[in-house]
Amino acid sequence: MLRYIIKRILSLIPVVFLITVMLFTLLKIMPGDPVRMMLNPGLKAEHYKAAYDAMTIKLGLDKSYPEQYVRWIGNTFQGELGWSTLHNRPVKDAIKEPLKNTIILNIFVIILELAITLPVGIKCAVKRGTRYDNFWQVFSLITYSMPSFFIALSLIFILAIRLRWLPPGGMPLTIHGRNFAYYLSWLKYMALPIITLTIISLAGTIRYVRNAMIDALTQDYIRTARSKGLSEKVVIYSHAFRNALIPVSTIIIGAIFSLFYGAAITETVFAWNGIGHVLVKGLSNRDFMLVISMNLFFAMLSIIANFVADITYGLVDPRIKLE
Amino acid sequence: METKTGQDPVLKRQTGILQSFFSMIKRLFVKDKPQLSALEEEAIQTPAKTVMKNFLRHKLGILGLVGFICILAFSFVGSYLKPINLGHMETTLRNIRPGYNYLKYPSQLVKEGVKTISSGVSFSVGLSQAGNVYVWGTQPVYLLEGFSTSIHKIPEEVKQANIVQVTAGDRHILALDDRGKLYGWGLNNFQQAEVPTNLQSKLNSKQVAEIIGSELYSAVLFADGELYVWGSTMANRLDIIPAECQGHIVKVAASSNNMALLLDDGTVRTTGIENVFRRVPEELQDGSAKIVDLASSYRAVLALDDQGELHAWGDTEFGILNAPEIPSKVKAMAAGKNNMTLLLDNGQVVYWGADHYNQLRLPPRLQQKPVAKVFSTMFQNYALHEDGTLTAWGNKGFLFGTDEQGRDLFTRIIHGGRISLTVGAISVVISVIIALFFGMTSGFFGGWVDNLLMRFTDVVMAVPFLPIAITLSAVVSGKVPEMYRIYMIMVILGILGWPGTARLIRAQILLEREKDFVLAARALGVKYYNIIIRHILPNIFNLVIVNITLRYAGSLLTEAGLSFLGFGVAPPTPSWGNILQNAQSSAVIEYYWWRWLIPGLFVVFAALSVNLVGDALREAMDPRANQK
Repeated sequence: MLRYIIKRILSLIPVVFLITVMLFTLLKIMPGDPVRMMLNPGLKAEHYKAAYDAMTIKLGLDKSYPEQYVRWIGNTFQGELGWSTLHNRPVKDAIKEPLKNTIILNIFVIILELAITLPVGIKCAVKRGTRYDNFWQVFSLITYSMPSFFIALSLIFILAIRLRWLPPGGMPLTIHGRNFAYYLSWLKYMALPIITLTIISLAGTIRYVRNAMIDALTQDYIRTARSKGLSEKVVIYSHAFRNALIPVSTIIIGAIFSLFYGAAITETVFAWNGIGHVLVKGLSNRDFMLVISMNLFFAMLSIIANFVADITYGLVDPRIKLE
Repeated sequence: METKTGQDPVLKRQTGILQSFFSMIKRLFVKDKPQLSALEEEAIQTPAKTVMKNFLRHKLGILGLVGFICILAFSFVGSYLKPINLGHMETTLRNIRPGYNYLKYPSQLVKEGVKTISSGVSFSVGLSQAGNVYVWGTQPVYLLEGFSTSIHKIPEEVKQANIVQVTAGDRHILALDDRGKLYGWGLNNFQQAEVPTNLQSKLNSKQVAEIIGSELYSAVLFADGELYVWGSTMANRLDIIPAECQGHIVKVAASSNNMALLLDDGTVRTTGIENVFRRVPEELQDGSAKIVDLASSYRAVLALDDQGELHAWGDTEFGILNAPEIPSKVKAMAAGKNNMTLLLDNGQVVYWGADHYNQLRLPPRLQQKPVAKVFSTMFQNYALHEDGTLTAWGNKGFLFGTDEQGRDLFTRIIHGGRISLTVGAISVVISVIIALFFGMTSGFFGGWVDNLLMRFTDVVMAVPFLPIAITLSAVVSGKVPEMYRIYMIMVILGILGWPGTARLIRAQILLEREKDFVLAARALGVKYYNIIIRHILPNIFNLVIVNITLRYAGSLLTEAGLSFLGFGVAPPTPSWGNILQNAQSSAVIEYYWWRWLIPGLFVVFAALSVNLVGDALREAMDPRANQK
């Protein structure tokens, strides 16, 4: 097992290297002069040249590309993500608050997602072919075919504009202090993004859980369990579900890591100051240092998520020999 | 290796004898059957035929296929039938809700006899000889307390009063009764549909010659030659009428930002913002030509002098200044927003100018029957024939409404569909080609090739799709001319989308390549290349097709999302996503629902059809799936 993990980690090294090289290349071909963005445009012409050269050396842009790459990687892994021109402060500080907002949002989404998909997926598999199953099949097919912004706009139209139950978007104000009303307003502002993201996540996951459960239910040991005279409840929850959990564990791991993913479109539509919205804003304002850092962050996250999912799979499923 | 029995001549003869012996016995008891070859007896069909048969049994799949064909026909045949003019916009027509009834005048109006008709952006108001007011067409604005009232809701007092004049502004209506009382309804954001108090006192004491409604403003011309203008006049200062003109005005031609005034000495003056409209020819100002009538389009004026000569000045667009040959004398004239209309003595109508809404396609009835009166305002035209019937032509309406620049959404959705469907298709083709290459080489050669290619696949898979697609699009769009941005989107979606498919293909090949037929092919000495192409590829083809279909739906959604955020297809080229780009404000969501709902539904409909087809194909190609 340990050997497998080490082998897996070693195989990650070239992947990480290639990704960083790719992002570094992207950073280099991006339009705009990073030195000029750092300088005060009010400088006089004769001072400007000197300041420009000084800044070039300070940023290390006078060195060759490989040297620049090494420097960039070094800084990045020490947590120095560069300077955000849009927010006019270090990228690290600029994304702290949005990252928090995104995580708060995603906690609710993931809890809702798992709380709905697991029971529904199991019930669909057990009752497959019935009206209940068909309803969820159609539901997931339709929501799977909907662009996220369309779901978001429809929800705004119905819940925020027609019924006036919820605010159409934005962030809660913090002026009133941290009392009950404050947390309530958080919930109110989060409600629409949460519903949207939950609906989007439901479509794929329900199908996945259902198929995993159907696979488990068609195994021979289920027939054995039934012929032993076990009650249907024991058969389903004790025999089938525990086996279905093996593939399902992948989506649970994925869900946990997706905590940090910002939903670019949904957050933009609801003007939720999350990490996805910051990315879109950064791109519109050509704040490339921010964008590249965030892409690197997302890429590393998905590599680690894949790695953890693989390892867990091996741990959970005794049939798999990880060698 | 097994020995091939069929090759042995002795054995073959023996089996032949045995067979005929058995068939002889069989014939003794059972009715003779025609001899069939093994293939016929089993009725084996080609895999494609099986898939087709299975697919046809799948009702939802058929539904999806029909839906998708409809969408394809709508977009591709539609864009051939309804060409788009990307540069065209008409801000006057902005944000009008769906409606196709602009020219559907009520028959009651014709029955009672038409006195006058005047049109706004999307509606017309008519006055019958009996003094009844009729309004038809589409509500041009959203209704909000104090901001606007429905143009269809004619006020009770108007219904009671004996109306002698009506006129339509762009989004409001004015009516005058025989006692000199003025009524207004419709858009009132600049109080253009209200009577100001100082006008009221004038109305009480003086006779009104004409009431005029125009874009966001209204005007009253009194019989004594005084003009009063109110409404949105801050920018164009139309409310300031030169002192030397006041009291001498006999006719007014109103445009969005200008007015042409005909004075009692036959000369012409203009007011409003400085532009070509105001460059009145010398002979019309010094009195050498005596003008009797005038009409004005958006930025051009047409004037008729007492000799029957036409004078025109202003903007030359749409050839609006070039009047065609006129066979007889001009009886009356009128002007739409971008068109000029002349009614001749012999009852003929001459019409020229822009053709954005098929205005120039005149109905044949118009020329067959002599015309008594023409009413041209905005984009709708009506001709009253001498026998009392009415012919209408011009802008029939907008099936899906208009956007914030007054562009027809129906046309934009047709062409947007063509772009979105094409971008999706080509990006999938690109990614499948890459995936096939990676998956097949990796799966077939294995070893270090496999390892290398799969690590590379891991890299592409690890980069988060939407952020990197947005980043790439933002980076490349600075370096690529606007025209080629569409191709760029296709390539970006293509080169980011292949890893999933490549892994799938690789896994399938690993499965196939262990099978006996590959072993047999190898033993026969078939070349590696041929084994891949002729033996393995056909076996993974089903899988690839299903994958392409499902990926296509995803690709449609991704393009829509990218364009929605402004990183996809760049306007003015429409795509389903970028039509929605300006629909993010809650004002649009609330008041202009057609601008996001209709294009959104098209995306959903297209993606849903493709997904249905994909699901059905998957089940059709995997017979085991049916048992589940």
